[in-house]
Amino acid sequence: MEVTFDKYSLIIDGERMFIKSGAYHYFRTPGERMARDRFQKMKSGGYNAVDIYFNWNYHSPAPDKYDFTGIKDVRKILQAAKDCGLYIIARPGPFINGEVNAGGLPFWLLKDEEVIPRNRIGTEYKYSPKYMEYIAQWYDQIIPVINEFDNVILFQIENEYATDSMEEDYMRELYKMARERGVKCPIFHNDAYFAGLWADCVDIYALDLYPYINPNQNWKQDNFCFDTLDNVEEIFRGAKEDSPPFIAEMQSGWFDKWDGSGYKHIRDALGDEHINIMTKTALSQGVTLFNHYMTVGGTNWGNLACDEVYTSYEFTAPIDEFGVMQSNFYKAKEINYFVDAFGFTKTEPKDFDFYQENIYAKMRHDLENDCDWLFIRNMNPQETDIQLPFDKQIKLRPYDMKICPINLKLKGCEIEFSDLEIFTRLQNENEDAVFFIADDKANIYIKNGEIISGNKKNFEHLTFKNENKTTQFVFISKQLADKSWVLDNKIIFNADYVLPNGAIALEKNSEIAYFDLKHKFAKKHYVVNELKPTTKKEILKISSVDFCSPEIDVDYDYSNWQKVEDKTDSLSCGMYDEFVWYKAKLPNTLTEITLSARHLFAVYINGKEVLNRNSYKIEKLQDVPETISIPLNKTILKNEINELTVLVQNLGFDKGFSGDTNNPRGLVHFETTPQIPIKFYVNEKLSIERDKKWESENPYLTKITTNFDVDIKDNVFFGKYISFEDFNCRRATIFLNGIKIGRYIKRTHVQDKFYLINEFLKPHNKLEVVVWEKDRNIKSKWGFKSDIKNVKILIGTFKQYQLFK
Amino acid sequence: MAIVPEFLIKRIYQKGSLKKLENGVSVNLKNILGPGLISGFNYVKINDVTFEPKDVKFITNNTEYIGTDVSEDNPVVFRLGQTGTLIMTGQDCLQEGTNKIIIEALNPEAGIVQLKADDTYQS
Repeated sequence: MEVTFDKYSLIIDGERMFIKSGAYHYFRTPGERMARDRFQKMKSGGYNAVDIYFNWNYHSPAPDKYDFTGIKDVRKILQAAKDCGLYIIARPGPFINGEVNAGGLPFWLLKDEEVIPRNRIGTEYKYSPKYMEYIAQWYDQIIPVINEFDNVILFQIENEYATDSMEEDYMRELYKMARERGVKCPIFHNDAYFAGLWADCVDIYALDLYPYINPNQNWKQDNFCFDTLDNVEEIFRGAKEDSPPFIAEMQSGWFDKWDGSGYKHIRDALGDEHINIMTKTALSQGVTLFNHYMTVGGTNWGNLACDEVYTSYEFTAPIDEFGVMQSNFYKAKEINYFVDAFGFTKTEPKDFDFYQENIYAKMRHDLENDCDWLFIRNMNPQETDIQLPFDKQIKLRPYDMKICPINLKLKGCEIEFSDLEIFTRLQNENEDAVFFIADDKANIYIKNGEIISGNKKNFEHLTFKNENKTTQFVFISKQLADKSWVLDNKIIFNADYVLPNGAIALEKNSEIAYFDLKHKFAKKHYVVNELKPTTKKEILKISSVDFCSPEIDVDYDYSNWQKVEDKTDSLSCGMYDEFVWYKAKLPNTLTEITLSARHLFAVYINGKEVLNRNSYKIEKLQDVPETISIPLNKTILKNEINELTVLVQNLGFDKGFSGDTNNPRGLVHFETTPQIPIKFYVNEKLSIERDKKWESENPYLTKITTNFDVDIKDNVFFGKYISFEDFNCRRATIFLNGIKIGRYIKRTHVQDKFYLINEFLKPHNKLEVVVWEKDRNIKSKWGFKSDIKNVKILIGTFKQYQLFK
Repeated sequence: MAIVPEFLIKRIYQKGSLKKLENGVSVNLKNILGPGLISGFNYVKINDVTFEPKDVKFITNNTEYIGTDVSEDNPVVFRLGQTGTLIMTGQDCLQEGTNKIIIEALNPEAGIVQLKADDTYQS
């Protein structure tokens, strides 16, 4: 596949191509089956490319060690994309951000003192030969795999990179390294500062745009947030005149944080209007390559998350974490289908003398369809009448944006102007059928003077003839448009979704309609008979409750643990897991210990909890360190030599965008009063993950086990979850069939439902929930044991569809 | 650590705008970075003289803001392409030739944003 470009668009094998890409994280949506499901849904929504970050950290547990097997087999992911007819935008970093742990840099790399991650300290450039050596090792692994796929159309180096002095050596070296390893397609970088950064070091200049990054912000009120997007063509042309405008990350959702307000809030705040405005404004600025970030939500299972984000990385994406299409998917689909119908690969801005308060308007001339397109947006909080300078008046709903054709030539007629939006068009040599989304406030003006009201019922149609050519207008409601799917010059109506292989997905019995130019309309009735009712959540029956932290017990044998030589933080100790244990001996002469740990920790002395603390705090994108002193007395230090246990839960390393990826985690600081040296021994992971011997007498960490069955069928898609809405403990870690799938922290109120990742589900499943901190008011061991008996874990099905092939 | 590199922040300062006023000094800013909010002024320092928020005024879009009035609850909208004048009063600070200017402001997303610039003054 030959990929070239000019100032308008990418050109693939000689053909201009509008790239409608969506971001998908294979590590957060693990396994080939889930990849195929999500890719098929993307394709059915009109996306023609998938943007894939390759997460170095996910594959490399140690220097020279790489794992591309099982769910980490990226060949299978790339093959799935190819089979689904998607191009690939490959983004192997080395740094990716994506709110992943350490921005995707391997933990072992952060430990190496000769390495300066990303060749910068703060924003100051500092070249590190050792870092470059390791990048070469990563590129040697990943680039040959990427090169096996001829549907890779773009390759990114680094991500969102800048330094104070902007030395180009690093970026130029990455470019060279990629080319030397056989990357043939255009190479780009993603500029987070939309300042033309690195434009001279790459083939195509690209940037990212997130007008809404603060969930407390009301983007509808603060509509200035689109200022950059509204002027983005100027930025592109200023950065690189001869490459097509490419928004490598274009906001289609936003991530929530531990201290956030939950994904429902963000989804409600963004609505469908935001993705509509983002995408149509991008088109109005001549953008011919965009990548909705994210298009597919995911899950931070295992140790994937950076410290900012919790388990769900649903991102309010068009396809959510469960794989279910949301309303912004349908809006994206509308725009994607519309782009497919008319190409939009070669347009020029056209002067348009117009001003009305809070109305954005932009005109473009389409060099391929020889027509104009008016892009018009209403940022008023009320429906607004807009008087256009060419004697047409339109009404726009609040925060709505439309693309209106002007002098659009069809087979059997010419549209002079229309504010009724086009959903899609099917055509052959002599005939076309244009599908409009009915709107009683909009009209189509035909060149012959006819005015057609948009007040139409589903499937109402009109026919126009011009010599031997015919155009049919067909009207469908917005609701029907959401359930209409274009497949191979055919439209299928009234399906929940249709996959590219023709499989129809339904929640309930439905009458499906079909249309193509040859056969016109046809209908078929489908009976859904494989789905079980899903309305009720069920309480899972607890099969066992076990105490599982023998490390806390007195006389626990930790002689085989690693001795801490110098610093106690987890990187210095080479402990990269979320949970790190520390053991030490304390004499009874101490009056106080002072410690700082990231992020949650508990201190036990002689098997008894003396402190359990959530020290996690981020302000203005920075960790806020906390140091705590614990006064000691003879009741606590009752022996001459006392046993100290510290358990630290690290919520993840910094993602490296504004902070340093190697900011310390674990036990960051420890001192005693009076000051004496303390010898620590260290180990990682919860004991249930580490080995089989985990039984204990103390109840501080309690494992609750339940079992449940799932009916897995080839012709049924489902998304299941467990719910902690009635859970009376404050912190828990969740394991599905031995794989960590979630972290629950009650006080954050951000997540109480956890996706039971389909890839990890089996017909018979074991769910283990390790509870660390129980109710704050319960202090005694007896109280803990009693409390745990009242734990309720619910299971439910979020959505299910039967697939008809 | 600043989220935005120094060289980008520096572009907000309009070179040659440093002016002596009857009871202070003024500089001009232009937002060329992207739409945003100013949620506070920590201080402005010119050479060795520090101006507290109470002695700092920001005039933009025909509105005057005293430094102490600007907060996360009462931010100043500073749109892409928008200009503003920062006026510092109450102390002499200018010297002939090159003057060192530091403006430390707050942004709700990025936190502290520190602009460092040099500008010349001739009486």
